[in-house]
Amino acid sequence: MMGLTPYLILSAILLVLGIAIVISKRNAIAMLIGVEFILNAATLNLVAFSRHGIGALSGQTAALFVIVLAAAEAVVALAIFLNFYHTIATVDIDQGDQLKG
Amino acid sequence: MLETMIFVLFAGLAVVAGIAILLSTSIVRMAYWLITMLVAVAGLYFLMGAYFLGVMQILVYVGGVAVLLVFGVMLTSRQLAPTLRPGRAEALWLAAVAAVLLVGLVLSILHAHWQPGTIVPANSAAEIGHSLLGEFLGPFELVSVLLLVAMLGAAYLARPKAPTAGPQHIKETTVL
Repeated sequence: MMGLTPYLILSAILLVLGIAIVISKRNAIAMLIGVEFILNAATLNLVAFSRHGIGALSGQTAALFVIVLAAAEAVVALAIFLNFYHTIATVDIDQGDQLKG
Repeated sequence: MLETMIFVLFAGLAVVAGIAILLSTSIVRMAYWLITMLVAVAGLYFLMGAYFLGVMQILVYVGGVAVLLVFGVMLTSRQLAPTLRPGRAEALWLAAVAAVLLVGLVLSILHAHWQPGTIVPANSAAEIGHSLLGEFLGPFELVSVLLLVAMLGAAYLARPKAPTAGPQHIKETTVL
């Protein structure tokens, strides 16, 4: 049987990749993809701990909540990006330096 | 042995997908690699015995979030899409920050001395249902309210502003 460590290291790699995507991309939708990477790294951690008897079933339930919240976050973020696109006619994050629509 | 092989397969797939997204310049390819990563993580859930969670991952993420992202890509014009690749100096800084973060995380994981309990057998959807409506009843209700608010908020934010809504038209009206 495999231990806990490989899952935690994979989760760390996914987290770093997600952060790198969020930092390097200027397209808003690409940044959202990076955020999905970060959230998946977190859920992988939760399920791995739950698998190895730390916190029993709570880990899986919490991961379920994270999936639901990620879906809600993606919906609202895309609605904001659409609004942004209608106003400024681009999805370049660097152009969004004013709060007025 | 077989478990290790399956783990390496799915983990490698997820990491390759992340690197491909980092190097890609096409937003549609990025969405494809995102789906690859989500399916790989779902496979890892199956490997860990979290069958219900794996199915939910595929249903909600691949069936919902990824399709939504592709719609977002199609609704925003591709001609006006910004250049996706960072400059050389930015890429160097990015690599340095990512490497330091990764090394720190891996070192702390290796030195943490986890004391794992016995490996929990695979649990059914019924147990998660009891957990959701028992121990986690409060968060469960909160999440249902949040989903309703997110749906209404998204519908409000993405509504068309004017009958013939185009970027130019809205700009003129805001100036006036």
